[in-house]
Amino acid sequence: MLKPGDVAPDWDLPCAFDGRISRLRFDRIRSDMVVLFFYPHDFSFICPTEVTGFHRAQPAFRQEQTSIVGVSVDDPELHLRWSQELGGISYPLIADQDGRLARQYGVLDEREKVAMRATFILDQRRIIAYCVASSINVGRSVSETLRVVRALRSGRLCPADWQPGDEFGPLDQKF
Amino acid sequence: MRGALNRGLKVPLAVLKPEEQRRIFERLANVREIVFGVQDGVLTTAGVLAGLSGAVSGRAQIILSALASTAAGALSMGAGAYLGTRAETEVIRTEMRRARRQAKAQPYIVQESLLEQLAKEGLSREASYRVVRLLSSAPQALYSTAEEKIYGLSGGSFGNPIADGLLMGFAFLAGAVIPLLPFMMLSSVRAGLFAALATTALVLFGVGYLIEGRLAEHPHPALAGVRFLVIALGAAALGYVIGLAISPLGAAVP
Repeated sequence: MLKPGDVAPDWDLPCAFDGRISRLRFDRIRSDMVVLFFYPHDFSFICPTEVTGFHRAQPAFRQEQTSIVGVSVDDPELHLRWSQELGGISYPLIADQDGRLARQYGVLDEREKVAMRATFILDQRRIIAYCVASSINVGRSVSETLRVVRALRSGRLCPADWQPGDEFGPLDQKF
Repeated sequence: MRGALNRGLKVPLAVLKPEEQRRIFERLANVREIVFGVQDGVLTTAGVLAGLSGAVSGRAQIILSALASTAAGALSMGAGAYLGTRAETEVIRTEMRRARRQAKAQPYIVQESLLEQLAKEGLSREASYRVVRLLSSAPQALYSTAEEKIYGLSGGSFGNPIADGLLMGFAFLAGAVIPLLPFMMLSSVRAGLFAALATTALVLFGVGYLIEGRLAEHPHPALAGVRFLVIALGAAALGYVIGLAISPLGAAVP
């Protein structure tokens, strides 16, 4: 699995976005930061809580100049039907059908041939600033991802459990 | 039971009500007790008759011993089947309670597991999702389907200890009587033993032929009968050979 400080591998893959199938190129994403989250499958009973969670939180991410991109090994048609099933998703769902992108990020479960539940936050230079992976049966926290984005964007030292409005660490010290 | 089996064989299962279909399958599961009991009863009694014919001179003694062995065997096998089924049922019931507790506490885990299982059985992921979603509208249907699909458990997994015990005991008794009857009818021990062994072989072949050959629709019923006979007699013969091989050790035991 890639780690903070690694250069994020790029991609040019089909995706479902805005009610249709199109392509998404990594270098076309203009936002300051990117939240790239891998999930195992469309049409699942665990993933929708995350997919819709990121959808609901998208205005807050947008405020932080952050794009959200979801990735699974399903095909773009299934992504489209899945996003319709969930009532519309406001960010692109990439179709990483051969699992190449997940493998490049080191989050492909080779036995099951699906992506693990992993989240990467990429900074302006498209360097990995944060990453986390969890058990296939445990959904991740959208609010925690947003908290980390805000902390990273502050550019300051943020102590444990830092929240916007909390004090930062001293300017002359590094953790 | 025969009525139910015949009905199950002659009437297409699909035209029966679901509960009748289930009952037939549950009764068919008792074939195990019947085959086990008959085979053990026949072989044990034939073995007792053969062994005592060489060791004891009195015909009455042989018959009395064989009758005692039959009674003890039937009771032992019946009790064993009762205890075995009872233990199995308790373990399965406990497992089902645990599975149901998990299903109630974490329904999404059960939904996901059921979805994966349906997808493995050929449904598309999307179709599996929709089926599970539909089932989720009736929790009882979701739980029972999940128990069957994920854990392989169902209402039919519960055996009836008393029925199994009685069936096993009577099957043993029926099997034991078969070699015993010709032995009792013939006055000569040698002729009686030959008749008992011949009947034993015939019954073993018959059980294989009828159960596996006819009931289970083996493509070659006679072959199924021969296989049953060979395996049953082979095990008995192997036991006899092992007995012969270790018999010299008897001399060393004070």
